[in-house]
Amino acid sequence: MSRRDSPLLPASDAREAALFFVIGALCFLAALAALTTRGTYKAAEAWGAQIEGDITVVMRDTDRRTAEQAANRVASLANVFEARVLSRDEVEELLEPSLGPGGMPDGLPIPMLMVVQADTAVGDPSDDVAEILDELGIDGDVAGNAGYADNVRGALGVLRLVALSIVALLSATAIAVIAFATHAALLARRDIVDVLHLSGAEDRYIAGLFERRFWILALQAGLGGAVTALMVTALIVFTGSGAQGVEAQLLPRLSLDFWDIVILLVTPIMAGLAARLAARITVLASLKETL
Amino acid sequence: MTRFRPDLSDEPAVRLDGVSLAYERTGEVLTELDVVLRQGSFTFLTGPSGAGKSSLLKLMYLAHAPTRGAIRLFGRQTHELKRKQLAALRRRIGVVFQEFRLLNHLTAFENVALPLRVAGQKPDQYQNEVIDLLRWVGLGERVDAPTPSLSGGEQQRVAIARALINKPDLLIADEPTGNVDPEMGRKILRLFVELNKRVGTTILIATHDLELIREFNAPVLRLNNGLLVRDVEYGAAE
Repeated sequence: MSRRDSPLLPASDAREAALFFVIGALCFLAALAALTTRGTYKAAEAWGAQIEGDITVVMRDTDRRTAEQAANRVASLANVFEARVLSRDEVEELLEPSLGPGGMPDGLPIPMLMVVQADTAVGDPSDDVAEILDELGIDGDVAGNAGYADNVRGALGVLRLVALSIVALLSATAIAVIAFATHAALLARRDIVDVLHLSGAEDRYIAGLFERRFWILALQAGLGGAVTALMVTALIVFTGSGAQGVEAQLLPRLSLDFWDIVILLVTPIMAGLAARLAARITVLASLKETL
Repeated sequence: MTRFRPDLSDEPAVRLDGVSLAYERTGEVLTELDVVLRQGSFTFLTGPSGAGKSSLLKLMYLAHAPTRGAIRLFGRQTHELKRKQLAALRRRIGVVFQEFRLLNHLTAFENVALPLRVAGQKPDQYQNEVIDLLRWVGLGERVDAPTPSLSGGEQQRVAIARALINKPDLLIADEPTGNVDPEMGRKILRLFVELNKRVGTTILIATHDLELIREFNAPVLRLNNGLLVRDVEYGAAE
């Protein structure tokens, strides 16, 4: 009857179960933070692009027909996606926060408003729009968002930096805690290290045993954390898919695209590598204390 | 009454020159020891509790480095060796620890096979050898017994088998009869004598048991307060 090698390290105990939980929880938080940061990034990108591309044209002392004519010519510009004159109801809705509900007085002169959506990456059409207004004899102002878009861009930059800092801090904390917990779990196995050492095992052999053990443990725990993060993200994506309007644009855009999956896959691998490295360093340091 | 003098014409198995050992907490436990164990010798190490016997053994089985002095094992200065070379040297030394140091999650078979396994051998290569050795120490029926299920005496015999499985050039045993009845103690000692005579293994046994020392009449190293106070063939100075 041929025998098989049974593991030289004992089956995991309560200390390793605690380590499993710690690694899993940290990986969950780190993965979720990374996904949220990415979502915030994407929302910021979209929000910034939209603000920069929006142009509002105020047209005074003109009739709707001339205003529509101007809108048609603006819409034909190469870098303009859409140009349209707002209806009276839409204008009333815009002014409602200032004038209150109940509509505007009939005699109140209301300028025509044209909204233009342009691709500012190709070029700012503000000057072309002003030229069209001049040609049609319309007294109007072209109000691009470029003025405060810089401020918005600055604020978004800070937001991104904060989000990235949180991810970096959380990841560093996760790695440090994993390393510390691995170190603590390993010290409890010091007796095994000593016996193997005195039996003539080389340092690399002993370190390899612990590296494999903690690599697999952290990988499994990290995978558990990442899968939980995936489920939470999927839940958020599912429940948030109904949100519309401005609120939807302001919320982080959680999704599950290729890079999100990469984040979820990388998280357990990072946890595994951190635990493996910690195990190696701890065992070798422990062995260095002996002859 | 002849004083024990090792034959220095051959390179001794163990040579300690002016060796001292100090622990951070307790201070110096061994002072300026000069010890020579000839290859193929059989020696007892004795002395009262706290005399430094276990510390001296730890130096010899390379668990500690001396604070001062030099240790030469099989002709090699240990402080000059790299860690890999020290590991190889440890594989030439079998150790029976006072507290056995068996791995509780392994069976008797697996504990005995440990030194072969860390040396890279596969079960097919050592299976028969391990079973034979377990039979030799009277544990033929307990080969696959989990370590915690073994009695103190059985665990001690597993520890002895583990120390012998590598066919070591040097066997160091710290109170190897401490947990067995006198009859088993004598049986174990006879095993060591047989090993010493047949294979030529150098053997050093630390023990309190003066009866055993008298019965087996071998050279004795006696320690007291970290000092070597006697280096004689038993009977010479008693």
